[in-house]
Amino acid sequence: MNINKYKDLRERKEKIMLGGGEARIQKQHEKGKLTARERLALLFDEGTFVEMDAFVKHRCVNFGMEKKEIPGEGVVTGYGQVDGRLVYAFAQDFTVIGGSLGEMHAQKICKVQDNALKVGAPVVGINDSGGARIQEGVNSLRGYGDIFYRNTRASGVIPQISVIMGPCAGGAVYSPALTDFVMMVEGPSKMFITGPQVIKAVTGEEVSAAELGGAMTHSSVSGVATFISSNDEECLAQIRRLLSFLPSNNTEVTPPAENDDDPNRLIPELNTTIPDNKNKPFDMKDVISRIVDQGDYFEYQPYYATNIVTCFVRMNGRTVGVVANQPKSLAGCLDINASDKAARFVRTCDVFNIPILTIVDVPGFLPGINQEYGGIIRHGAKLLYAYSEATVPLVTLIVRKAYGGAYIAMGSKHLGGDISLAWPTAEIAVMGPSGAANVIFRKEIKQADDPAAMRIEKIKEYTDKFSTPYIAAELGYIDDVIDPAESRIRLINAFDMLASKREHMPAKKHGNIPL
Amino acid sequence: MKIFKIRVNGKSYQVEVEEEGTSPASPPKPVLPKSPPPVQGIPQPVAMPTSRPPFPSGSKAMVNSPLPGTILAIKVTEGDAVTRGQTLVVLEAMKMENEIPSPADGKVSSIKVKKGDSVSTGDLLLVLE
Repeated sequence: MNINKYKDLRERKEKIMLGGGEARIQKQHEKGKLTARERLALLFDEGTFVEMDAFVKHRCVNFGMEKKEIPGEGVVTGYGQVDGRLVYAFAQDFTVIGGSLGEMHAQKICKVQDNALKVGAPVVGINDSGGARIQEGVNSLRGYGDIFYRNTRASGVIPQISVIMGPCAGGAVYSPALTDFVMMVEGPSKMFITGPQVIKAVTGEEVSAAELGGAMTHSSVSGVATFISSNDEECLAQIRRLLSFLPSNNTEVTPPAENDDDPNRLIPELNTTIPDNKNKPFDMKDVISRIVDQGDYFEYQPYYATNIVTCFVRMNGRTVGVVANQPKSLAGCLDINASDKAARFVRTCDVFNIPILTIVDVPGFLPGINQEYGGIIRHGAKLLYAYSEATVPLVTLIVRKAYGGAYIAMGSKHLGGDISLAWPTAEIAVMGPSGAANVIFRKEIKQADDPAAMRIEKIKEYTDKFSTPYIAAELGYIDDVIDPAESRIRLINAFDMLASKREHMPAKKHGNIPL
Repeated sequence: MKIFKIRVNGKSYQVEVEEEGTSPASPPKPVLPKSPPPVQGIPQPVAMPTSRPPFPSGSKAMVNSPLPGTILAIKVTEGDAVTRGQTLVVLEAMKMENEIPSPADGKVSSIKVKKGDSVSTGDLLLVLE
């Protein structure tokens, strides 16, 4: 009787849908976490998720595993729609033997990766796993390796978003690390190569799991996490928001959003943004939020290297990536971490056809022994490399300081910038006025009757002549000096003009970025 | 234009052949990224949790100088209750009056520098508890 076959199918599916069972689901909820299926339901538009491979079973026969039933192999995989656009996803199910990764669990994930790459759709990977399934031995290691390989192969083709919603330790951390974005949730998310117990046993250092690898540690100290959320629901809403800024793959551009913010809006407040005292900081985020559509910006690494701000915004409905110095933090200097952060962001934008707006107020690279020993030369070079390599439209706005090597690094025309604009408050020079005056007028100052007065006079002379945007504008390094109030109009105009930009790198296997 | 003589099934035809586009094959045009139709209803912003670097209650937090420079002003005194983000010290460095914010809510337990002091990166400025 066929009716029995249909009943059998229903029962089989119901069992798989329940994952590790009611008791474990309740335990998951008590930890403030959603289950894998609840997470996918929130990620996708209602009713659009299609599950694949629900019937996949492990084939391990070690240590009595042949008797063990693992519904869904501890991971839910499939595809669905986010704002009507196709997205692939996998979510590890902690209620099923701790979401541990075995051979077939990994194969389910690999199938998602392969399919997403074939059709050119983003992959969202939700990690909540105790780690390798030890009973499966080297087969589970092979599983991780297969996933890493596909992460790397798909890099730069489709957006890959990793979400850490539970433990992610040991080798498992490297799949997220290879993807474009890592989201963490405060509380349940933990990422580390070796946990607190191992660290204590080996080095004697005592540290809690949260301090070692919690969401805020990776957001503010290590820079591993790109985004942070307070709970699962907010995190999933953030992923949907992030996806709205991204194209489905590297051959597309992000679909424009409907925009009711006037592209010809004047912003008189910007005329008073720069303090009269040039030694006073201001908040660069005020400038960004005034210029972009609806004042809305989505910050990338908001708590890491806060001396540079990186964010996704919309200009007249189109996605733009913003890189801006933050004078409020470390005087806006470029240091090792800021260079790494900005370089990675520029490359992320470039790979997904997202134009870049660079807003400059930079006094220079941060001086210091720890910076030099830490390799600021090597790390700063990444930023130069990223801009020089980028073929997307590059528009730069210099609002105040642009000194020395940092001027070159911050999206200057010399590194392939397309349009460079400056406010009248811009100072573009090799170094600050007092340093420069000390070098150029050393003799005059030394021989003067009143060296201090002479020094002040010479600094003023230098400031009047060189600490302006006009020398650079005379040479064509700045396309125009603009009224700050017109910034939005002029920037949107520049991006519109550059929309059809086509540039190609010379044929090569790949560049050799100084890693 | 070229003229050919062609024989088909024993019958002779004279055929004129014109060659179009004699230029060499043009290089393939770069593929323009496709622009899908506009999306309606963009997801709204979601608040991110505020910055709270590890500072467990009951313990002490060291506030170190992030930059080499000169102490321009100290905005708090020992025993003051402070909130996260409140300016503790103004440090003149890199030609900028850098406001050093409190990393967390707490109380100023001791101040290690005075106005006019020169500090290097990592020097202890004050301790919070």
